[in-house]
Amino acid sequence: MNYPQTILLTDDEAHIRKFIGLVLRKFDNPRLLEAPDGAQAVELYRQHQPDLVLLDVNMPNMDGVQALGEIMRLDPNAVVVMLTSLANRQTVEECLRLGAVAYIRKDTPRDEMTAQFERIIAECYGQETPA
Amino acid sequence: MNPSPESSKPSLVGRRILIVDDDRLNTRILTSILKPEGYDIVAVYSGEECLERYEQFKPDLVLLDVIMPGITGFETCRTLRDRHGDTLAPVIFITAKSESDDVVEGLAAGGVDYLPKPFKGREALARLRTHLQNRLLNEQQRQLVAQLSSANTAKNRLLGMVAHDLRNPLASIRGLADFLSDGTVGELTADQLDLVKTIQETSQSMLTMVNELLDKSVIESGELKIHPELRPIAELLNKSVYLNNINAAKKGSLIELEGIDAETELNIDADKIKQVIDNLLSNAIKFSPPQSTIRVLVERNGESVSVLVRDQGPGIPENERHKLFQDFGQTSVKPTAGEKSTGLGLAICKRIMESHGGSIAAESVPTGGSIFRITFPAPLLAA
Repeated sequence: MNYPQTILLTDDEAHIRKFIGLVLRKFDNPRLLEAPDGAQAVELYRQHQPDLVLLDVNMPNMDGVQALGEIMRLDPNAVVVMLTSLANRQTVEECLRLGAVAYIRKDTPRDEMTAQFERIIAECYGQETPA
Repeated sequence: MNPSPESSKPSLVGRRILIVDDDRLNTRILTSILKPEGYDIVAVYSGEECLERYEQFKPDLVLLDVIMPGITGFETCRTLRDRHGDTLAPVIFITAKSESDDVVEGLAAGGVDYLPKPFKGREALARLRTHLQNRLLNEQQRQLVAQLSSANTAKNRLLGMVAHDLRNPLASIRGLADFLSDGTVGELTADQLDLVKTIQETSQSMLTMVNELLDKSVIESGELKIHPELRPIAELLNKSVYLNNINAAKKGSLIELEGIDAETELNIDADKIKQVIDNLLSNAIKFSPPQSTIRVLVERNGESVSVLVRDQGPGIPENERHKLFQDFGQTSVKPTAGEKSTGLGLAICKRIMESHGGSIAAESVPTGGSIFRITFPAPLLAA
C-alpha cells in the first residue's frame, strides 16, 4: 500500500490538528504540514505540493471552500479531503463538485476516523500500477 | 407588560371606542356616559364611515347601530370580521329593543354583545368594561405568546450554537485520551491509565449529551430533514449491533440479532435510523443488569416492518410510560451501572420515526424486561 508522504493539515483549531495529526501517524508517519487558515494552506500547497490536503471548512482568512478552489486551480490533481463540523450537505456537495475527493466529520471517533482515512488513502494511493 | 397583581382589573383609561350611529342624539348620550371613564371616543354616522375610520382609529371596541342608511350594522360587522378575523375588536350592537331575532343575527354576524336602547348608564358601562378588559387581556396574551415564541427560537439558536461549539473540542479530548490510553505516545502506569480512562468515559458521555442537545435544537427549530434512500435493514442492524456489542461486553452483556433477512430494504435516512437503533441498544444495555442478553428481532406484520429490542431491565411502570418519549422525561428506572442519561434520546427517536411516517412504542413484558418497538409503515418498504 502506498501512503501519502506529505500531508497538509488545515484547521483553525489546534486541538483538531493535534488529534488528526495523531490519527495520520498510523499511515507510515507522514511528514505533516500544518496551517491554521485557508490562505496559509494555499501558500503551503504552492511551496510543497503535498500528497494529501485536509481542509477545514470554516476558517478565518479564507475559508475551506475558497482554499479548495485555489488549490484545485494550482493543481487540478490535488487530493483534498474536507474536514467538516456538521454534515452540512450543501457545503459538502459544493466541495465535492469543486474537486474534493471526500469529507470527514471532525467529531468522528478515532477508530472510525482511522478507518475512513484508510479507505480514502486506499482509493487515492492504494492502486499500484496494474501489472 | 408584566402581569401585575392588578392585571385581572387592568386600567382601561385611554382605550379607544368607535361609536357608529346615524342618530346623533344617541352618539351624544353614549359619549356622555363613556367620557367620564377616560375612554378615547370617536363617533361616526354610517356603516361606510365606520369601515373607513376603523382602519385609522384602530378601536378597542365598536358600538354599532343596526339600522342605518346605507349598509346595515350587521353588514358592516360582517365586513369588519372578514377583514380582521380574530384580531377584530369586540363589536357591540345597539338595538332598539332586545328583540331576539336581532340579537341572534348580530351575534352570528360577529358581534359579541348588544346594548338595548334606551341606554341605562350603569349597565352600558358594565358591559363595555367587560369586553374592553377581555380585549386587553387577549392582546396581552397575544403579545406574550409572540414574546415566548421568539424567546424559544432564541433559546434553540443558542442551544445549537453552544452544542455545536462544544462538540469538536470534546471530540478532540476524547480522541486525544484514546491516544494516551493505547500507548501511542508512550506507556502509562496503571494509575495514569485509570485517570485517562475516566477522561475517555466522561468526554464520551458529555459528547452524547451535546449531540442530543444539538439534535433537540435542530428538531425544535423545525430543521430536522431526512434524506431517504433504499437501504437493507440487515446492514443497519448488523453494524449497530456490532458496535454496541463492544459496550455491552464491558458489562458482560450480549446483544443477539434474530429473525433477520437480508432482503428487506427500507426507504429511510440510514444515518437517522441508525441513530434510533443505537439509542435503543445503548438504553437496553444501560438499563439491563450486567450479564444480560438483549435480543433484537425483525418482525413483518403484513405490510409493515418492526424492529424490536428486548432488554432484561426492570420494565417501565405503567404510570410512567407516557414520560418515556417526552423531552427530559426521566422515569424512576435508573441505569444499572451509573450510566448517564439526558432524557432526550427517546424523544429524539420519536421525532425521527415520525419524520419517516413510522412510530415507536414501549411495552413491559410480564416475564420481565421491556420491549421497544420501532415500526416502518408499508410505503417505506421496497417493492
